[in-house]
Amino acid sequence: MQTTEIFSSQLPVGEILSIKRGRYEPKQKQANAKRISIVSGTHGDELEGQYVIYLLSKWLKENPDAINGIIDLYPAVNALGIDTITRGFPIYEVDLNRAFPGNKRDFLPGQLVHALAMDIKGSDIAIDIHSSNIFLKEIPQIRINKEFSPSTLPLAKKLNCDFIWIHDAVTVLEATFSHTMNQMGTKTLVVEMGVGMTLTQVYGQQLLSGILNLMKSEGIITTDQEFEQREPFSSEVGDVFYINSPSAGLFVQSIKHCAIIKKGDVIGTIVDPLSGEVRDTLEAPSGGILFTLREFPVVYEGSLIARIFGENDEKN
Amino acid sequence: MKKIEILRIDSLNRSPLIVEGYLFEGCDPTAPSVAIVGAMEGTTILPLYTASKLVDFLKNSLDDEKKLRGNILVIPSINHYALNINERFWPLDKTDINMMFPGYGEGETTQRIAKKLFDALQGYTHGIILETREGVSTCMPYIKLFESGYENIDAAKMFGYRLIHHKTLKPTDTVSLQYNWQLWGTSAYSLICPSDLHVELHTSNEVFEGIISFLGKCGIIDYKVLSGYESTIVKNSDVEVIQTAKSGIFIPTKKIGSYVKKDEIIGKVIHALEGEVIHKILSPCNGLIACAYKNGLILENAVAFRVVKSG
Repeated sequence: MQTTEIFSSQLPVGEILSIKRGRYEPKQKQANAKRISIVSGTHGDELEGQYVIYLLSKWLKENPDAINGIIDLYPAVNALGIDTITRGFPIYEVDLNRAFPGNKRDFLPGQLVHALAMDIKGSDIAIDIHSSNIFLKEIPQIRINKEFSPSTLPLAKKLNCDFIWIHDAVTVLEATFSHTMNQMGTKTLVVEMGVGMTLTQVYGQQLLSGILNLMKSEGIITTDQEFEQREPFSSEVGDVFYINSPSAGLFVQSIKHCAIIKKGDVIGTIVDPLSGEVRDTLEAPSGGILFTLREFPVVYEGSLIARIFGENDEKN
Repeated sequence: MKKIEILRIDSLNRSPLIVEGYLFEGCDPTAPSVAIVGAMEGTTILPLYTASKLVDFLKNSLDDEKKLRGNILVIPSINHYALNINERFWPLDKTDINMMFPGYGEGETTQRIAKKLFDALQGYTHGIILETREGVSTCMPYIKLFESGYENIDAAKMFGYRLIHHKTLKPTDTVSLQYNWQLWGTSAYSLICPSDLHVELHTSNEVFEGIISFLGKCGIIDYKVLSGYESTIVKNSDVEVIQTAKSGIFIPTKKIGSYVKKDEIIGKVIHALEGEVIHKILSPCNGLIACAYKNGLILENAVAFRVVKSG
């Protein structure tokens, strides 16, 4: 594997901010070899992608003869944020995934994302791994902009995730990595899984299988190994129901993440520790799968508690 | 003057967040009206100070009630929770209220705050949003208007500030208060204040006087003010972005608001451990320093100055 610094900035006091890429290539260069780029750590509090990239790098090291294409790994886009438990780019407090495409004359976060986009430009496929945030736990899922779904949906189905969520185009999301790269012609998928500041090892293994499965089907690796490919459920055949907290308090879960639930099942309660009272009881507005569940217990009115994917005909 | 509750959000352990507006009702129903929004972020001291000073002015300095012609709503602070603990954004999830418009009543907390605020701001002729710059920079007071197709540049000149930045619209700007307010029919202006964490009286007076000038020239109040500047419209291409080639301790040698000449030294960077000057920052053009990096430590390639080109 070759390591290359794709962006660096000398920090004021004896330290260099360095964003690195690891590249695996076939032993003998092949014409028309496909290139895939795997990205994680755009948000400093999301670590699941780091684990997946570790597992992938380990697999590639152990199977060098399987490599037919170029596999680029960018485990830590927001390197400063990851090492300081900071979601945004430190000092500037900027969400890097709202700063694309950036440019060389932009402020520093804009320069960084520009360097990343320019380095990945030309890849056939890119996968941007996110792990929700510290508040919510997500099952492994792919988020796809409807505008690009004709080219990205077939790839998403190979990634061994449980859910594919196709959403409408939203102008503000044009500042994301995935929109920028899709615009540049790189088929880009966004994975959301797990929860911030944590490694969910079973999800990491699941996505590793999916990435290897996708790379095998695209001819980027050649191997006799078989990789799991789950049949994901898709937002095209159902509806997503949101449950937001009606009051402030402490959210106490009554049900496990990823459970199959019925309409009216109790998802949890909002309690007041001081008075010992239950302020609200939250019931499922629809049957389905509880694919998002709140992990961080402190809530305000409006805090997202859960998301359920249910059949169309379950909706009131 | 009426004090009206704009929104209320409860908390597990903190006092409820109660956002209030001060409504001054004018005597002339045909006069234009204005709503003024203060601190949406927690580190925006000048927006808070300016809005509260305006409440005091409208309460105590207009000696005749007939001088108040149109309705004026002032909301000095939206984000008390952040202000009180020196956080920039909504303290729990660090979301930016000014990226949540037009808001959503069934959504997340800051979407709900934005919705309730936006509802209260409907129907005004003009809207003034007191903001500071994003990032690690500060500036002279100016008006920021997006190139949205709805902007009112002629009215923006009535503030009398030196500059009106007619800014290219970015995707993230489409969820700002200014853009959405304009879309819903109000002539909205972002008044960008210096992002100091203390009140510097000279600059804060300049900000305040600009608002009074605007209110007078629009016919919202009957109050004589001295004229300000004939504002220059600045496009992105009129601004020279000056990055520093070295990181270290940043010493600006020219103040914001100064005119500078091409190749003039406007700042320097000192080695943070050895004290020597390792980089001199030269102005690449003649012009006016509009913005500068505000921290003592600067990163390599960071934007140190923005100079509006002249000559």
